[in-house]
Amino acid sequence: MAMEIKSDHINLKRFISSLALTAVFNTIIAIFLTILEFGEGFVLNLIFSQCIGLTICSFVLAAHKLFFTDNIAIRMIIFITAMTAGSVAGTLLGAAITGVTRSIFFEKNISFIHVVFIGILFGSIISYFFFSREKISQIQGQAKEEKIKRLSSEKRVLEANLKLLQAQIEPHFLFNTLSNILSLMDSDLDKGRSMLADLIHYLRTSLSRSRGDLVTMAQEMEMVRAYLNIFKIRMGDRLHYTIQIPDRMKDHPFPPMLVQPLVENAIKHGLEPGIEGGDVLIRVIEKGDFLELEVTDTGLGLLEKREFGIGLSNIKERLKSLYGDKGRLVLEENRPTGLKAIIEVPLDTDKGNHRR
Amino acid sequence: MIQIKAIIADDEEPLRTYLRSLLSDVWPDLIICGEARNGREALELVEKHKPHIAFLDIKMPGLSGMEVAKKIGKACRVVFVTAYDRYAVEAFENEAIDYLLKPVTRVRLERAVKRLRKQIDAPHEQPQSDITEVTERILAELKEREAREYLQWIKVQRLDGILLVPVEEVCYFKASDKYTMVMTEEGESLIKKTIRELSDDLDPNQFWRIHRGTIVNLSRIAKVSRSLTGRGAMRLKDRPEILTVSRSYMHLFRQM
Repeated sequence: MAMEIKSDHINLKRFISSLALTAVFNTIIAIFLTILEFGEGFVLNLIFSQCIGLTICSFVLAAHKLFFTDNIAIRMIIFITAMTAGSVAGTLLGAAITGVTRSIFFEKNISFIHVVFIGILFGSIISYFFFSREKISQIQGQAKEEKIKRLSSEKRVLEANLKLLQAQIEPHFLFNTLSNILSLMDSDLDKGRSMLADLIHYLRTSLSRSRGDLVTMAQEMEMVRAYLNIFKIRMGDRLHYTIQIPDRMKDHPFPPMLVQPLVENAIKHGLEPGIEGGDVLIRVIEKGDFLELEVTDTGLGLLEKREFGIGLSNIKERLKSLYGDKGRLVLEENRPTGLKAIIEVPLDTDKGNHRR
Repeated sequence: MIQIKAIIADDEEPLRTYLRSLLSDVWPDLIICGEARNGREALELVEKHKPHIAFLDIKMPGLSGMEVAKKIGKACRVVFVTAYDRYAVEAFENEAIDYLLKPVTRVRLERAVKRLRKQIDAPHEQPQSDITEVTERILAELKEREAREYLQWIKVQRLDGILLVPVEEVCYFKASDKYTMVMTEEGESLIKKTIRELSDDLDPNQFWRIHRGTIVNLSRIAKVSRSLTGRGAMRLKDRPEILTVSRSYMHLFRQM
């Protein structure tokens, strides 16, 4: 699962490592100030710089944690407030520890404000360093997440391919169809022959098509017709089907194996389980810049807990990879009964060039 | 000698015809007193003709072959016919129930017929397993499997009809009085179900409750951060709003 879960454990670790790093910076600042002959010697400088630095660090981290917001301006205000408060508190703490009083500050011509200001100055520099570091790790994290996302989506596509392949040679379908053919060998040879021809056509086209290629609408419909013919013999009067496709759409390119799972679903879940059976209507309609392909059945409809099988997510995934946001699959209840599945894709696509 | 009667039930006409003709070859004395196209017709035929044997396809519209067998009980011997049903076949093997696999072959049918004849000639030496009890058990098992299934679809009322939204597309559900808001990447819609009713039907491996009134789809979570007050702020991948995780549900997001 690609989600980041911050635990207390990690937070505490990060908090301590930030403090440790700040302590290192504080020491460097103390040395620097001493070299500049600022203040009352290295030891005092070190104590003050540690007090101020660590307090600022704690304040800023705590504020970040407590008042987390997405608004940059508010974040900036919170940051500056925490930094100032931290610097003041740190200076007071330093004074309390070292016993340096107001008078000493005056004697040395160093005002309290000076110290606080120096604290804020260095605090800003160090905070900038921390923020940059955070940002870099965030960007790295994002890149990593992207990579995981990409790999898992590739994996999903592969799995879907495999499942699709298995679905095409679904044992129940195959054995039942072969039983029918075997039966017809005795009773109705012509029917048996035509059923066998349909099965061969269906298996050959569905197995040989590489999923990346586009085929023409007419080719795709021929395969669906073969599939429906098989069921027509098996189900007899319980199945009626109509395929309506405008002549000018017949040569239109279309991705293979998108319609078949919808038809299969209509039969398997809609018509086969019902005593009366019903109709399947496949329609291709032009709607402005879009092409709509409807598969409607008058069967039992989709129950809330019924799985659609691999077909649906597979179709959605492929529509997304082929057309982005412009391709979609919508499912509606058909009136009075049954299910209507609509595939919507742009009429004009770059993919159209493949025919040349 | 009495005439042995049988019925054949299968929703696919060619298969009924085929089994009938095979039987007439293998068991010429057998009288096929009726063919049924679905489970209900099969029951009617059994009542009407009181056959000795019923050949029942398992997958039939209306009533399945197994449901028919359960209702028939001891009224006649049942032979199940199935194309591919690993689970059922396994069960039949264990319970010594007669079954035939499609496509039915002559050899296999001859063997089944031989067995049936023996059973009918000497019913006390060759009792068939109590079909009512066995099918009831198998059906209960199948039903339990079904009951374990979770909600796959959310039916959403739209102006132009009812839209079916697959649950995996839902980012989260939000309680709204007696109703529930369904939040997806594309938008939101109201359904007439309480969040409590929903939570029972959702797959707990996919949906987690994170607040009294919020159920979230795990695969749509981008990030959860914890505030010092103990509550959590959850960001989603496809929706802008930040959800609150109650303190009592934060344990779900502790270090994995």
